[in-house]
Amino acid sequence: MRKITLFIVLIHFSFSIHGQTIDGLSVGFESNSTWYNDDKKTGDFADEANKDQDEHFRANNYLKIDYNFLSKLTASVQIESYEPFALLNYSTNFEGTNLGTYSLSYKTSNIDATIGHFYEQFGSGLILRNWEDRQLGINNALFGGKVSYRLLDVVGLTAVYGNHRVGFETSDGTIFGFNSEFELDSVFKWDEIALNIGFSYVGREDKIDLENPNYKPTTNAFSGRVDFNYRNFYSSVEYVTKSEDAIVQVNQVSNDFIKPGNGILFNTGYSKRGFGLDATFRRLENMSFYSNRKKSGNIFFENIINYTPGLTKQHDYLLTNIFVYQAQSAVSFLDPALLKAGEIGGQLDFFYNIKKETLLGGKYGTKMAFNAAYWSGLKGTFDYANQDYETEMFGFGSKYFSDVSLEIRKKWSPKWRSIFYYVNQYYNKKEIEGNFGAKPIVTNIGVIESTHKLGNGKSIRIEAQKLWSDSEKHDWIGGTFEFNLSSKISFYINDIYNNGDDSSTAKTHYYNAGGSYTKGATRVGLNYGRQRAGLVCVGGVCRFVPEATGLTATVTMAF
Amino acid sequence: MNKIITYGLLIISSFSFAQELPSLVLKDLDGNDINLNTLVESENIFVFSFWATWCVPCINELDAISEVYEDWQDETKVKLIAIATDDTRTKKRVRPMVNGKGWEYLVLYDDNQDLKRALNITTLPHTLVLKNQKIIQRRTGYNPGVEDELYEIIKENSN
Repeated sequence: MRKITLFIVLIHFSFSIHGQTIDGLSVGFESNSTWYNDDKKTGDFADEANKDQDEHFRANNYLKIDYNFLSKLTASVQIESYEPFALLNYSTNFEGTNLGTYSLSYKTSNIDATIGHFYEQFGSGLILRNWEDRQLGINNALFGGKVSYRLLDVVGLTAVYGNHRVGFETSDGTIFGFNSEFELDSVFKWDEIALNIGFSYVGREDKIDLENPNYKPTTNAFSGRVDFNYRNFYSSVEYVTKSEDAIVQVNQVSNDFIKPGNGILFNTGYSKRGFGLDATFRRLENMSFYSNRKKSGNIFFENIINYTPGLTKQHDYLLTNIFVYQAQSAVSFLDPALLKAGEIGGQLDFFYNIKKETLLGGKYGTKMAFNAAYWSGLKGTFDYANQDYETEMFGFGSKYFSDVSLEIRKKWSPKWRSIFYYVNQYYNKKEIEGNFGAKPIVTNIGVIESTHKLGNGKSIRIEAQKLWSDSEKHDWIGGTFEFNLSSKISFYINDIYNNGDDSSTAKTHYYNAGGSYTKGATRVGLNYGRQRAGLVCVGGVCRFVPEATGLTATVTMAF
Repeated sequence: MNKIITYGLLIISSFSFAQELPSLVLKDLDGNDINLNTLVESENIFVFSFWATWCVPCINELDAISEVYEDWQDETKVKLIAIATDDTRTKKRVRPMVNGKGWEYLVLYDDNQDLKRALNITTLPHTLVLKNQKIIQRRTGYNPGVEDELYEIIKENSN
C-alpha cells in the first residue's frame, strides 16, 4: 500500500503542472498503517478482538470525494478499507473494504437538505452530536434525512431522522430530532448585545424484547439554552432532560432500575485584548444515551447519541496525559462501595499577556495560561439493595479528579523561545475506572520546552519532562528532540521511562522515533516505537489501548 | 476494491482543482453569523488557518504570524481568518485565548467540523490561501519559518 501511495503522490505532482481543472471536486485521502512486531517488553503481537496472531500488517484507509454540481447539489462518498484487519483497538465492525458514508445534499442560502449519511450537532452536543474521529475509530453519522431552514439570519430550524452508522451497518434503534435557534438581537436590532436562544428535542426508539417492560421503547430528551454577549462579557446556560429509561450496566438492561436523566451546563467569561477569564460548571446525572440500550458505555463509542466530553484542559505533553479524566455521565451500581449516578464540577481558565518592555514582560512580552478543574461524584442517598438513588441538586460527592496547570510562553530573542509548563493532578482511579484496589494518586509534572531557529528553515525543539507522584508506582521522566531540516522535512525522537515499581510500565522505555515530509496539503510520516498501555484521548473522549510496538506509516492528502 | 481506490486516486490526482469554499455560515466570537462566500468577496488575498486551542503547532504558527501581521496587512491587505475547530470540550477556551494572546484575526467557530470535513482536512494546522474566491494554495503542518514561505505566496499573488 505504501508503494502505491508513493506512486500516486509522484503521479499527482507530475500531472498537476499540465493538469486540467475540474471545478467543484474535493478529495481527501488518509492512510494509517502499522506493522506490529513482537517485542520482549510489550509482548508478542496478538489481536484478541479478531483472534489473530498472524496478520502483523494492518492498514486503515479513507478516501473521501465530494463533488459539487449544478451549483446547489453536492454528492459525497467515503470509501474505507481495513485490510486485512483494522489497526489494533478498533471495533471489529470496521472490517474489509466498503462504502463508509454517502450522501446527496441540496444547499441554497437558506435551505440545506441531505439524504444519506450526515453529521449534526444540536447546541453543545449534550443532547445530540454526530461526528467522526478516525484516530479513535468513531463514526456515528446518522443515515437518513436532514432538512435545515434559515430565515433572515434570525431563525434556524433543523429536523433529522435516521439510524446510526455502526461499522458498515446501521443501528436498529432510530433517532429523530428537531432543533430551533433564534437570534433575538437581530429582531430587536441591538448592536452591543447578542442574545440567542435555542430549543431541541431528540427521540430515540429502541425496541424492547421483554414481555412486561417497566419502561418505554421511546426515550425523549429536551434541551433549552440561552447565549448572551455584551461587549467583553459573555455567558451561556443549557439544561437537558431525558425521560425515564432502563439503567444499563455491563450490557445488562435492568427492568427494575428505571430513572430519568438531566444535565446542566453553565459558562461565563470576560475577555479583552491581553486578558481572558472563563469559567464553566457542569452537572450530569444519568446522561448516558445510546441508539441501542445494550451498547451503553461500549468502549468504541458506537451508537452514542450525545457528547459529554471530560471538561478539563487537554494537555499537550506525554507525561501530562498519563492520568486523564473521563466524564462520568452514567449510573453505575456495580458494588455497594462504588455507587455513581453522574458527576458535578467545573473548570476555570485564565489567560494573560504581560506587556512588552515591562519587568516581567521583557523585550517581547510573556504569555501566561492558567487552568484549574475539579470534578466529583453526585451527592445523594444511594440504595444498593433496592437499586435506587436520590441526588442533591448542587451537592458534591466523593472527589474524582482535579487538575491545576500553569503555562508560561516566553520569547527570548528572534531565534529562541521557551515554554514552561507545570501541572498538579489528583486522579481517583477507583471511582473513575471502577478499579477496586486502586488508591487515588497525586502527581506533579514539570515540562520545559525550547525552540531554536537556526536559519534557512532549520530549527530544533527540545522538551524535558518529569512526573513526581505520592505513589511508589509512578516516577516518570521523559524527553523529546525534534529537528526540522526545512519547512518540509522534520525528524523527532522521544522517550518516557517509569522509575517507579508499577507492574505494567516499570523499567520500559516507551520510545518513538520518526520523520515526516510535507508538501502542500500532502504529508507522509514514518514512525517506529512503543505505545504505552493507557488512555488515548482525542477531543475529550478517551479509549483504553493495550501496549504495542510497531512501525507506522501515515499518508494524508487533500486536493 | 483496493485496486479501484488506487485507480480512482490515480485519475483524480492527475487533475488540479480550482476549488471554492463551500457555502456555509459560521459564527464569529460574538455570535454573529458569517457567510463564507460573502466574506471572501473581494480582490484581496485571504488566508484561512484551521487550528484548535489544544494544537501546539497551530498556536505557534498563529503566534508567529501575529508578530508580523500588521506589516503583512500594510503591504498586501491580506486578511487571515482563523477557523477554530475546537469541539464542545475546548470551544469555551477559544475566546479568552484569542483575546489573551491579542490576536487580531477574524476567528470563526467550526465546532462540529463541517467546514473542515467539506474541505477534506485531516490534520492540523492546515492553511488555505484564497484569491478571487478560489483556493490557490494549501498546506498542512507547521515548522518554524513556514510563515515566511506563506508570505512569499501572498506577496506574489497580491496586486
